[in-house]
Amino acid sequence: MNIEVRDVTVTLSRKDIVKDVSLKVREKAFVGLLGPNGSGKTTLLKSIYRVLKPASGVILMDGEDMKTMTYRESARRMGVVSQFNNLSFDFTAMEMVLMGRSPHKRALDRDTEEDYRIAEEALRRVDMLSFRDRSFLTLSGGEKQRIILARALAQQVEMLILDEPTNHLDIKYQIQIMDVVKSLGVGVLAALHDLNLTLMYCTYVYVLKDGRIVAHGPTEEVITEQLIRDVYEVDCSVVRDARSNKLNVTFFSRM
Amino acid sequence: MKKNLNPKHALLGTAIIVFIGALVLSILAAVTIGAVKVSLADVYRIVLYNVTHIELGDKAFLSSGTIYEIVWNLRMPRVMMGAIIGILLAMCGVVMQATVQNPLADPYILGISSGASLGATFSIMIGAASVFTGVLATMSTAFWAFFGALGAMSLVMILSHMGGGRVTSAKLVLAGCVVGSLCSAFTNMMIYIGKDAENMKSVTYWLLGSMVSARWPKLLLPGACMGIGVLFFLTQMRNLNTLLVGEEAAITLGVDLTRWRRIYMVVTSLLSAVAVCTCGIVGFVGLMIPHIVRGFAGSDHRFLLPLASLSGGIFLIWADVLARIVLKNTEIPLGVITSAIGAPIFVYMMVKKSYGFGGGER
Repeated sequence: MNIEVRDVTVTLSRKDIVKDVSLKVREKAFVGLLGPNGSGKTTLLKSIYRVLKPASGVILMDGEDMKTMTYRESARRMGVVSQFNNLSFDFTAMEMVLMGRSPHKRALDRDTEEDYRIAEEALRRVDMLSFRDRSFLTLSGGEKQRIILARALAQQVEMLILDEPTNHLDIKYQIQIMDVVKSLGVGVLAALHDLNLTLMYCTYVYVLKDGRIVAHGPTEEVITEQLIRDVYEVDCSVVRDARSNKLNVTFFSRM
Repeated sequence: MKKNLNPKHALLGTAIIVFIGALVLSILAAVTIGAVKVSLADVYRIVLYNVTHIELGDKAFLSSGTIYEIVWNLRMPRVMMGAIIGILLAMCGVVMQATVQNPLADPYILGISSGASLGATFSIMIGAASVFTGVLATMSTAFWAFFGALGAMSLVMILSHMGGGRVTSAKLVLAGCVVGSLCSAFTNMMIYIGKDAENMKSVTYWLLGSMVSARWPKLLLPGACMGIGVLFFLTQMRNLNTLLVGEEAAITLGVDLTRWRRIYMVVTSLLSAVAVCTCGIVGFVGLMIPHIVRGFAGSDHRFLLPLASLSGGIFLIWADVLARIVLKNTEIPLGVITSAIGAPIFVYMMVKKSYGFGGGER
């Protein structure tokens, strides 16, 4: 499945947060969305996962305008791991993950053995199976994040939208989560802070600044010392690491 | 062979059956209790005859006379009313809490009860019947209460839609509080300027809730509403679960939040308006029962909704029994009983560490 954003502008409180953005996530592509705080990454993602309505422009899913689809239809194909997952009510980890099955269910359907198997498999993938009966609200930020990813896995979608999926996580789980996502072989659009993580996983990136796309292309071509200085306003060196054969960004202090 | 997927579910499933049994037993027990002493055998013979037409003894005794009137036309409808109103209020509480994603939501917080109070007070104190003529003059206090509840509900909905943007739970709750205080202010003003002591007493009585007026014909509306409500929400349990995980998550899990929230708000408002206009304001049931049940059953609506509804019915039957028998020759308003029982239980849950009002351990 592919997602195409065409000339989308999103307005919040009469201010244009996302301005005339176009981007495309091809089938099974791992696409990064970069940009400093306040550049409109989250707002753009929210309009893609339909929490915000664009003021203009269209968002297409496999060429079909998402506005014309029911939420259920889009939820069967597109899963979301967003930043804020505060609850006012408690559920167990397993119950949370099972909710990922709801777009596939009718109102009166029961959770079948198959649903439990899918949910368990999702929990296992994020290394949280032993937490299945724990109360979600007692989990740490990183553990919650992994449960939310498991919920998106249980949705069995062809496209994942991730908004800072590695926030709150220590490095082991950052890599684990990104590995899990990559191994799914589904399309991914991920807003990321960490440039090195972006270089490790994304094949293509879009860079947002003040709500506009200022650069896009294959990751290694886009992430350059010049671009980082322009967009993030910090100095750095981008050097290929001999052992991993990956580009690596090292920042310089201003002191 | 059907594998048991979740042992907790089997347990809670059994609990539902047990609670249904407890509700039936409560009805049967409560009908034997009252100010006038009637022997158990007489009570059950009358009930049995009027339900199944099996005659155990003198037919005249079973279908007429003082004892018959007390058992079948006073106590029985009253007990049934308790069950129906309890189920309605607890069910509305559960659904409202999910709809506005706020553990404190109930018909009070959302202004509905205050609107009903205003309508009822207006009708009693100003003597709506004597001010108006024609059709309006024949409208009862219950009608005005219902009207008030609907007015308050509409106002809450309008307020929370104002300023554009999505209707958030915070907006709904705040709008509910605003409308609630406004209605209370006018209610109090009417009580303050009211002169007639008799009216004053009936207003107070109404505001505190009572089942005294329960008769068979009066059961029809709340009973039908309860039936419709139960059937409707039984089909909505999966949606309700999804609503609880938050506005964004609900949308990304395929639930059209705005649409369903509007539908649930209207349905629960209508149902609680019916409950409130029938029996006055019975506090704490819609708030407390869902929390107590959530404490042992969890937040999964497939179990929470039936268990909380049944508990509400059982609780109100027994609260009404207490209202009848605690004081000799007079009744305590039902709202006083439910609050007197409810407040300490609520404090206990607050103090108890393991239950965080759905908010987890703090």
